[in-house]
Amino acid sequence: MRNVWATILATWALLAVLAVLAWTRPQPTPASQNIPSAVVVKGKNGQSQLVVVQGGASPSHATTRTSPVPAG
Amino acid sequence: MIAAAQSSGAPVAWLVARAAGLVAFALLTASVTAGLALSTKLLGARRAKLLLGWHQTLMWTALAMVALHMGALALDPTIHFGLVGVLVPGAAPWRPIPVAAGIVGAWLMLALAVSFNLRRKIGQRRWRLMHYATFGAFAIGLYHALNVGTDVTGMRGLIFAGIFLAPVVWLVFARILMPRPRPRKTPLAPVVPAAPLISTTVEQPPRADRAAVPL
Repeated sequence: MRNVWATILATWALLAVLAVLAWTRPQPTPASQNIPSAVVVKGKNGQSQLVVVQGGASPSHATTRTSPVPAG
Repeated sequence: MIAAAQSSGAPVAWLVARAAGLVAFALLTASVTAGLALSTKLLGARRAKLLLGWHQTLMWTALAMVALHMGALALDPTIHFGLVGVLVPGAAPWRPIPVAAGIVGAWLMLALAVSFNLRRKIGQRRWRLMHYATFGAFAIGLYHALNVGTDVTGMRGLIFAGIFLAPVVWLVFARILMPRPRPRKTPLAPVVPAAPLISTTVEQPPRADRAAVPL
């Protein structure tokens, strides 16, 4: 019976430590966040253009800049 | 199973190896603490018997965790230890001396656990002498954990060493400094003269001199 209790105790301890180690493991950062990438954009006239997107730039959908209100 | 989980991105073998190593050292410390508590004879006979059982069981459970630790390291696809690397001291390519110390400690633990069952065969005195190697296994385990373990570096290493060393050091001092209970005197058998005493070869000093003889 003592062996059974020791096995149960050790298994729970192992699972608990395993959970803590897995929880505190540093997550790998997404590779696309800071590395510049190239995008091929097709214009109205059918010409393709290569556009380089800078890494670390703010996402396009985060904010929008509106044109200033024309005076007069 | 480990390979399947490994392919999902989580380093399962590495996590299992680290967790099993930490639990194994905790169990070894518990076993050493129980053994020292037994040797100080602070407990009654009934509790001592219970603690002796736990002392053995914890050592075997610690060994099972060490086996899991070694097995997970052998299967880890990143460090490439292999079976020889985790069983033969000095065969591992990474940090060879602390890893070799860990392997020696594991073999020592196995010898100590087996010696519980060979106590009658090897004799009490030899078994007791051999049992002192437990301190060696504990020290080697601590050295291995502090020098190889990735979870016990810097301040965490100091806290880890303090938590696990404190009960062992305290009980060692208790064992050395506390007066040990005297062994029970066996009752003397009543002296029955087999034959009437006729003469004796030992000359007894006179009564006045006998009092001066130191006891």
